[in-house]
This record gives sequence, C-alpha cells and structure tokens, in this order.
Amino acid sequence: MAYFIQVLIDAVALGSLYALVALAIGLVFGVMKLINFAQADYLTVGAYSLVIPTAAATPSMMFGGLPWALMIFCVVLSVTVLALITERVAFRPLRNTDPTTLLISSFAVSYFLQSLIIMFHGGRPKSVSIGAALTRPIDIFGLRVGGVQFLTMTVALLLLIVLVLFLKRTSIGIQLRAAAEDFSMARLLGVAANRVIAIAFAISGILGGVISLLFVIQTGTLDIRMGIMPTVYAFFATVIGGIGSLPGAVLGGYIVGILSVFLQAYLPEEMRPFRDAGVFTIVILILLVRPQGLIVTSAAKERV
Amino acid sequence: MAKSPKQKLQAKNVHVVFGGIKALTGVTLTLNAGDILGLIGPNGAGKTTLVNVLSGFQKPKPGTIELDGRDVSDLSPRKMAQAGIGRSFQAARLFRKLTVLENLTVAGLGIGLSRKAATSQARDILDWIGYRHGHDRQCDSLPYSDERRISIARALALQPSFTLLDEPASGMNEQECELLMETITGIPKNFGCGVMLIEHNMQVIMGVCHRIHVLDGGRSLAEGSPEEVRNDPNVLRAYLGDRASQKNAVI
Amino acid sequence: MRIFERLFPVLALVVPLAGVVWTIDQFGSAGVERVSTEALIRLVFAIGLYIFAGNSGIVSFGHMTFCAIAAYATAWQTCCAMLKPITMSGLPAFIRDNTFPLLPAALTSIGLAGVVAFTSGLILMRLSSLSASISTLALMFILNVIYSNWTTVTMGSSTIVGLPVYVTIWIALGCAALVIVIAYLYQVSRWGLMLRATREDEVAAQASGTSLYWSRLIAFTLSGFVAGLAGVLFAHFMGTVSIANFFLNHTFLIVAMLVIGGMQSLAGAVVGVTFISVVIELFRRAEVGFSVGSMQMSIPAGSQELILAGIMLLILIFRKAGIMGGKELRWPWSVRDDGTVAGVGQVRLARSANCHR
Ligand SMILES: Nc1ncnc2c1ncn2[C@@H]1O[C@H](COP(=O)(O)OP(=O)(O)OP(=O)(O)O)[C@@H](O)[C@H]1O
Ligand SMILES: [Mg+2]
Repeated sequence: MAYFIQVLIDAVALGSLYALVALAIGLVFGVMKLINFAQADYLTVGAYSLVIPTAAATPSMMFGGLPWALMIFCVVLSVTVLALITERVAFRPLRNTDPTTLLISSFAVSYFLQSLIIMFHGGRPKSVSIGAALTRPIDIFGLRVGGVQFLTMTVALLLLIVLVLFLKRTSIGIQLRAAAEDFSMARLLGVAANRVIAIAFAISGILGGVISLLFVIQTGTLDIRMGIMPTVYAFFATVIGGIGSLPGAVLGGYIVGILSVFLQAYLPEEMRPFRDAGVFTIVILILLVRPQGLIVTSAAKERV
Repeated sequence: MAKSPKQKLQAKNVHVVFGGIKALTGVTLTLNAGDILGLIGPNGAGKTTLVNVLSGFQKPKPGTIELDGRDVSDLSPRKMAQAGIGRSFQAARLFRKLTVLENLTVAGLGIGLSRKAATSQARDILDWIGYRHGHDRQCDSLPYSDERRISIARALALQPSFTLLDEPASGMNEQECELLMETITGIPKNFGCGVMLIEHNMQVIMGVCHRIHVLDGGRSLAEGSPEEVRNDPNVLRAYLGDRASQKNAVI
Repeated sequence: MRIFERLFPVLALVVPLAGVVWTIDQFGSAGVERVSTEALIRLVFAIGLYIFAGNSGIVSFGHMTFCAIAAYATAWQTCCAMLKPITMSGLPAFIRDNTFPLLPAALTSIGLAGVVAFTSGLILMRLSSLSASISTLALMFILNVIYSNWTTVTMGSSTIVGLPVYVTIWIALGCAALVIVIAYLYQVSRWGLMLRATREDEVAAQASGTSLYWSRLIAFTLSGFVAGLAGVLFAHFMGTVSIANFFLNHTFLIVAMLVIGGMQSLAGAVVGVTFISVVIELFRRAEVGFSVGSMQMSIPAGSQELILAGIMLLILIFRKAGIMGGKELRWPWSVRDDGTVAGVGQVRLARSANCHR
C-alpha cells in the first residue's frame, strides 16, 4: 500500500510535468498550427544555462552558482528569450504555411539549437548538482516520499493551476484560448495575432525553463538529448488528448505520465527497460480506437 | 464499371446542428434523375450544409438520406461518390499541383475505371465542357472561371447519377454565365443525371432550373416551379428582408 | 520517341548519376568512392521516404525504423557465424546456428521491413495527417527502445560487427536506379495519382471516390520496402550495425535532404541528396582542416550540422517547394498541351461582380 502511494505520487508528479509540456505545445499549436519540436531544446538550453560553456564533464557553474531565486529567474528568462527569438526568426516568416511545413521547420530549429549546444558545450553528458538538499526523502503522514518527487509534484501542480487560472480568468488568457479554438475567428474579433503568438511562445519558454530545472535536480546530469523524451511524450499527449484541445493536452499528459510510472513500477524487472516502448505502444492502441484523440474539437475537423 | 443509374435522391427530415447553430431543421427534398433543381437561400441558409449531407460529409442528426429508397445516411463521402453522387465545391478545391486532365482522371479512377479509360473519359468531358486546350496545365495557375468549370467537370467524371453544384457561377462574368447555363442545361441530357444547383445568381437559377427549393435559416421555405417561387411572398420576404414584408403589408 | 519522352524524368536522373559514378570509379580516390557510395545508399533511403512523404504530403519521421529492421535482419542471417551463438544467443536456433546466403538474406530482410511497414501502417494511416506524422516518431522510438534493450538478440546498444561487406559503388548505383524507376512507376500509377490528389486536397479527393486510407497505406508499405533495401545496403556497406545509426540524427539528415531538394518530386529527392552530400563532405573536410596558402585553417566541429539546419530553414522560408520546386525534369521539346491560349480574355477575378441581379 505504501509502495502504491509512492508510485502514485511519482505518477502524479510525472503526469503533471508532461501535462505542462503538452500544454505548452498545445498552446503554440493552437495559435499557429505549429507542433514545436524545438520545445525539447528549450528544455535542454535551460538546463545547460546552469553551467559555463566548456567541454568539461564537470563544468563550473554559471546560473547554477547563483542564489536560488536569482538562478530560477535567470534560467527562465533566458529560455523565454530563446523561445521568443525562435518565434521571431524562424516561425514568424512561416506563419501562414501548412502544419506539415511548420513541423519540419521546428525539426530544423531543434537540430540547429542542438548543434549550437554541442558547439559550445561538447556532446558528452555532464554532471551538475543543484538542490542536493532537496533530494532527501521527507515524511508526510508517516510516508517516506522522495524529496524530488514531492518538489516536482508540487511545482508542476502549482504551475498547472496558475496556468489554468491564467487561461480562464485573465483577458489575455481568454484571448489565447479563443485563438486556440479558432484562430481566424479570434483575429476577426480583434485578437492581435503577434501578441497572442508571442505570449504562447513566452509561456512555452517559461515552462521550459522551470521544467528543465526540475529535471536537472532529479537526474543531476546534462545531456544534449535530455529535452527530447519529455517533448516526445508531450507530443503523444497532445495527439491522444486530441490535437488542438487544451484540456485534451493536459489529460493526455497525465495519461502518458501515469502509464509510464506504473509500467516502471509494476513491470517485471527484466521488462522495465522496455517501459517507453510499452507506453508508446499503448498510445498507438488508444489511437486505434480513437483516431481523432480523446477530446475532439471542432477546430480539428476541416470545414468542408 | 457498369453502374446502374439511380433514379431518386431524397433527403428526409434532415437536421444538422453546429454548436448552437441550427444549420438545417427538418429539410425534406427529392432530386429526380433528369431534373435540374435549384437550391436557393440567403447567405448562411444551410445550402452548403445540405450538399455536405447529401454527399456524405455531414451526418444528419436526425434525418436520413435515401438513394432509390435505400438508406445511405451512414456512407462515407467516398462511398457516396462511388454510389453516384458527384459534387463540386463552393471553393472549387481543385488538386492544385495536378494537371487539369489528372484532376478528372482521379475521379475516373475513384469509381474504378482503368487508367486508360479514366484518361480518355477525362478528355471527353473536358471537350464536352468546352475546355479543349490546356489539358496538361497545372491547376494552380488557372483563371477563376476555369477553376469552376473544371470542378464541375471533375464531378461529372464520377459518372454520377446526381450532380450537386455549389455556386458554380460565382466569379464569372455575363458571357461566362451564359456558357455555364448552357453547360448545366446539357448535363441531364448528356449524362442522364439529376442536377442540384446552388446559386445566388437568379438569372442562372431562373434560366436553367425545372424546380426550385428555397431554404432560409435552415428551414425549407418553399418549393415549386421558378414561376411559383418567384411569386411566393415568403420568399420575397426572406430575400428582400423587412422592406419587402413592409411593402407587402402596405399592399 | 514517345516512350523516350515518357521515361525522360527517370533517365535524366539515372544517366547523370551513372556518369558521375563512372568518373569516380575511374579517377576518384578510395575516400571519394566511399563517400559517394554512402550518398547513393542515402539516396535509396531518401527515395523510399519520398514515395510516401512526397506523394502523400505527410512527413514521416519514422522511416529509420524499417531501415533498422532490415539491417538487423540481414545481420542476424549473415554475420559472424562463430560469435553469433554467444553474442546473440536469444535468436531462434535455425538463425543462430546457420549462415544464410546473401541474396536470400537481403530479400527476406527487405520483406520483413515491408511487412512491418504494412502492419504499422494499418494503424497509423487511419490518423489525420499531422497525427500520423507524429506517430511515425512513436514507431521509431518504440523500435529504438526495444532494439537497444533486447540484448540477447540485438546486442543492445553495442555494435554488431563482421557482416560481409559487398556493397560497392556500382551495387549502390544499381539499387538507386532501381528505386528511382520504382518510385517513378508508382507515382504515375493510379495509386500514385490518387495519393497525390489526397495530398492536394483531402476533402475533394474523398468526394472523387479516393480512399485516403488505402492510398496512403499502399505508399507507406512500398516505402517501407525501399527503406528496408537501404537498411540492407547500409549494413553490408559498413559491415556493422548499430541502433544508434538509425535514430534522430540520420532521420534529420534525410528529411533535410528531401526538403532542400524539394519534397514533392523525385528529381527533388535526387538533387537534395546530391547537393547536401557534397555540402556535408566539404564541411567535413573543412572541420578536419585545410590550408590557405601557408596557413592551416579549420572550422569548429559541429558547424556542419549548424549549416545544414540553417540551409533547411532558409529553404523553408524562401523556397518552400525546395530547389526543384516540386517539378520533375521534363523532355524540353515535348508537345505538352499547356494551353496558354485557352480561355484568353475571359480571366476575371472579380467575384460575381456583374453576375448578380
Ligand atoms: N463546420 C461548421 N461548423 C460550424 N458552423 C458551421 C459549419 N458549417 C456551416 N456552419 C454554419 O451553418 C450555417 C449554414 O452554413 P452554410 O454554409 O450551409 O450556408 P450557405 O447557405 O451555404 O451560405 P452561403 O450562401 O454563404 O454559402 C451558417 O451559419 C454557418 O456558419
Ligand atoms: Mg455555401
């Protein structure tokens, strides 16, 4: 029972993380029909901004050496700026092209950023330790819970709640949702395209920054591929949630996160390495039953 | 493929709702082989939606579509096309990177013709419709009025029993409209099929239609011969708005 | 004459390729020959991807899956008779304890890739085009996870070595020519034409009696076979097989080649692969170092990838249809009916201006 609850906390933690990334991807998709592969590199860049660019395997700290609050601020800010730059330079000129071209271009942006990181930091994984104090287990109601899991769960849930409130309550948030529902209609109603799109990218940058920190605290390593898995998970989250639906993205995020943790916990030992394959296979099977995803929006259907 | 031509296409008590918008409410209509039925109504009346329902793109809820008495409401658009319902689109929707000839060939292949038969049929239809040159031209560089003609031709390449044309005359000048009217009149004679024609241009509608069905706000307002519809006070009101009804009231 | 004209789009690609290969074979260094052979194999793969992506308009990020499946399958059958029972003990006995002749091994491996493509296509092709694109990525991740962890059969993330190396530049050329012909025949076939119609307009294609599902599935399967062929060629060119070679980097490279050349035509695939292979080779040499006068210069490692991604972005922004613009090479003197005379003087764009009452 205790094990189950620990697993459950893990599942909620990871699910919330994926839900966040999926939401970032869903927002950007909503406003410009772009599935942004470069989200992976927002995460990676955020993590690498902790250290000084060298080829060393245990590099000295850059933002990672700052006091907590300042570190978070700097990392989040630099990722947000990066997200906005990619929007301005690469995606804005392509704004009115088809989703497939946009997807390919985000693939190119991602590769570009990845190569840039390799150029400055070298391609090998590095180890960093930030927030070592947080990794100690803590007791909640007599349950020993990994500190990192607890932190991840709290931060991710908080962010999710803040983001949902932002989308539901503030006027900018409502514009954003309106644009995600039906972009051309929203524009007719006076939603400023540039601003809405910039905000969507800024959000994906902010989320990218925070999530990258959570990942580094958890794993203690930097790796040029570190952003890919969460992003790919988030892709599938948006697909099974129903492309174009924000609640769908969150739902999908939880589904893949929870599946992943439960497979990890309950698969027989020798099968555990195949966990990701298991999750993706289940994703594909869900799509077999519901090709349009769990929540079908009218925006996803082409108007004849 | 030897298809037996169908005699009758019916929509029975068709309802369609989008979100809160009632696009169609209880529409019933019959299209007979050899007939040209005009479908008119103000913008947003539900004309395109009805065509979508009749061609399988929109499921009526509730309501049924019957083809010679057989319920075909659940068929996919592709099966509808193969069952003998050809349609054109308000926005032409040609295959832009394919040539004119290929556009028609695709439809021929769609009903199971061989490559060769589909191509030669495509040439015949293009000739018939008066598009004798430029068969190998890519469709993304066509003048607007040619796009419209090709999209009619493509619908005909399905060897349909019924052809549904969604605003084929929009964007055409007087002279082109004349030609188009000739073409449409010729469709039942040459292809033996029934035509449903959506048009805002009353000259075209009055000139070619045997009967006219009027939609307004998703409901059937009237159906009858062009004469009858022209003089129907409800229709006048719908078309000319309050001004007309006031005038009527005065009279 | 007519037949020559019909075949011109193929000949115009194959003949120059053959010419280049002959020149390299006669005068090129071993290094150049190696690089060119590899480029030709990439061409095979790129054309495989083109058959699906170019004609359907759905990019697949997952075609490396089929490549990997075939490469491993041929490795299982042909490699290292002595070591196999130890390093890949989990293989079925008849494969583990036997070594198969090269050609049947190649054919069964390609067949396996095609079958996997068909089976996965049964599910993936039901999805909308964007979801399908993303789900092909899932396919590649699934395969990658399985093959990197299935240690007793695939040797996990270690490299299988000791495959017979038989792919010469001429064999690579032959295969490239073969798949060019296959791709061309496919794209002018009824199924190719229908698929291209769905690419242009899904709705209108359905209204014209075309099945999105079947037309896509056929192309997906065919392209799976061709990707499988590329996998076999890779395996027997390198003599080694490693799952790391069948992942995102390689996928990106090939997608970039296709996009830059022009995704929507066969000529685009060939031009893209050729052009990018040359660019990459130049940069690779520049990274190693070159001398200008008496100075030894080199550019930083990684610039190759940066430049590639940069070119790709520029192409996407300024010339979306790629270098070839989606066109095939055509016999310049053909009597095509482009009908510039048709409908002259009738061009009017004003929407129903005087058509209304
Ligand atoms: N896919 C859809 N989703 C939501 N609403 C729709 C959809 N299709 C049509 N509608 C709405 O249904 C109503 C009827 O539309 P429809 O296109 O059938 O009208 P129409 O008679 O063809 O008009 P027009 O003459 O402008 O072409 C309109 O209010 C339209 O906004
Ligand atoms: Mg309409």
